[in-house]
Amino acid sequence: MKTDETQLKRASDAALTSLLNLTILPVIGFIALLLIYRKTRPGDIDRYHALLGIQINIIAAAVLFLVSTLMILLGGFDSPWTWVYVITYFTLVHTVFIVFALWALVRAWSGDKLKQA
Amino acid sequence: MKYESQSIAKLYFIAAIGLFVGQILFGVILGLQYVMGDFLFPEIPFNVARMVHTNLLIVWLLFGFMGAAYYLVPEESERELYSPKLAILMFWIFLVAGALTILGYLLVPYATLAEITMNDLLPTMGREFLEQPTITKIGIVIVALAFIFNIGMTILTGRKTVISLVLLTGLVGLAVFFLFSFYNPENLVLDKYFWWFVVHLWVEGVWELIMASLLAFVLIKVTGVDREVIEKWLYIIIAMALISGLIGTGHHFFWIGTPDYWQWLGSIFSALEPIPFFMMTLFAFNVVNKRRREHPNKAATLWALGTAVMAFLGAGVWGFLHTLAPVNFYTHGTQITAAHGHMAFYGAYVMVVLTMISYSMPIMRGQQAANAKAQIVEMWSFWLMTVSMVFITLFLTGAGILQVYLQRYSDTPISFMETQSKVEMFYWMREIAGLVFLIGLIVYIVSFFVKGEEVKMAEAE
Repeated sequence: MKTDETQLKRASDAALTSLLNLTILPVIGFIALLLIYRKTRPGDIDRYHALLGIQINIIAAAVLFLVSTLMILLGGFDSPWTWVYVITYFTLVHTVFIVFALWALVRAWSGDKLKQA
Repeated sequence: MKYESQSIAKLYFIAAIGLFVGQILFGVILGLQYVMGDFLFPEIPFNVARMVHTNLLIVWLLFGFMGAAYYLVPEESERELYSPKLAILMFWIFLVAGALTILGYLLVPYATLAEITMNDLLPTMGREFLEQPTITKIGIVIVALAFIFNIGMTILTGRKTVISLVLLTGLVGLAVFFLFSFYNPENLVLDKYFWWFVVHLWVEGVWELIMASLLAFVLIKVTGVDREVIEKWLYIIIAMALISGLIGTGHHFFWIGTPDYWQWLGSIFSALEPIPFFMMTLFAFNVVNKRRREHPNKAATLWALGTAVMAFLGAGVWGFLHTLAPVNFYTHGTQITAAHGHMAFYGAYVMVVLTMISYSMPIMRGQQAANAKAQIVEMWSFWLMTVSMVFITLFLTGAGILQVYLQRYSDTPISFMETQSKVEMFYWMREIAGLVFLIGLIVYIVSFFVKGEEVKMAEAE
């Protein structure tokens, strides 16, 4: 099925809100992403990118906050080593998610899935 | 190769790679001196090794930029270089002056070097990265002026493109901002202003223009995407780079005796500094995604994408990590700065020069791209150098965070030297990563000599 302009626009918006949630608009970006998801239909490219965005952000939240919290709980708030691990880990992994979301945005702009079938 | 005079770039690139090897060798020596303080002492003291490491970096990047400009400008301007002979003459002058300066650092005490080069007539020596004797600095200005004249005349008398004009703007900025290195006020705070007007306005200002234009040139060539699309991106990127980078200089003025307003200006504008790098990543991804041809030079495409991502990571993210004034209160001048410096220089400038070399060197050797085997070896070198640089950065970040905590944040802070002994493990791991980087660089050089069947561009659709 050929992707129409509205779907393409919505796919781009979904990818953009996913990126915004990961960068300068956490939570607000995710709510906007959920709103976009509600407008999509199964099988369409906009649904694909909205879903991908939701997945990226949920995994990012889990990987970043849960693991960081675990590190703090296990390592202790007052231990310098805890902060060595938490800050380094958070910065690197967060950036990896941002770069991934950037690639998803570029794919959404061209109406493509991450991997072409 | 469309124009004969483009081949001058080869000279510059070979010199750049040679000096790059020197830089990394001294980096490995330095890394070892962090954990074995008397290693190679008194032959190569730490301060001398550091000076050679950083100066070689600057000099080889300048060779790389010049080589890149000599390759790019004739093709963009659709004419031969204005004066190939001047370019060759300047190459030898720059190389000899650079080599003599490095030998000067290594063979005589720095104070003696200052004396024999008559630094007292116009004192400019003794500042980090700008340690060159005054006479060398004058030489750099002459070479830069001749270079800009040559490039400028080629551009102005030929086809003018956004890429070549952005490059020219960056190169003129590079030369102009270097002039601040001749002003050396006695007031240390004032001195820092002018010192940063060279260092910061180079790496977080005009060099970004050079980087963006080189990246745009290679991406046009390897992807076949319309020039108009790439030029629009270029405008936005350079505008963001200048808007954020110029006043972003303020982030160097925190906590050194400057007025408090710099904390606001520096924090706000440097918070914007990741944006041009973010956009460069988006730009590179977008252009590669929309590519209209499968260029046989896969290695050059990999370097181009790698440049965008690593520059964002090193310059953008790792810069932002410690750029806000309240954070910088603790992190100023710690290993976190070293972590940022390493990845930013590698990601933004080393990689863009290697991107240019990767794209142009095979063409200058009469091929569209290096043979498949050579490209595989080159891509191995890409991953070895890039991954080891990520680890160097992570280990230095770890060292920096521990340093901040133990030396500055803790209720019972310990001394600088005591802290250094506590972070020694990170320095060892950094040294191992540095050795892997050196191996990657050797593999990179080997890739130029790997023989194989020539690869050709697939016919356009």
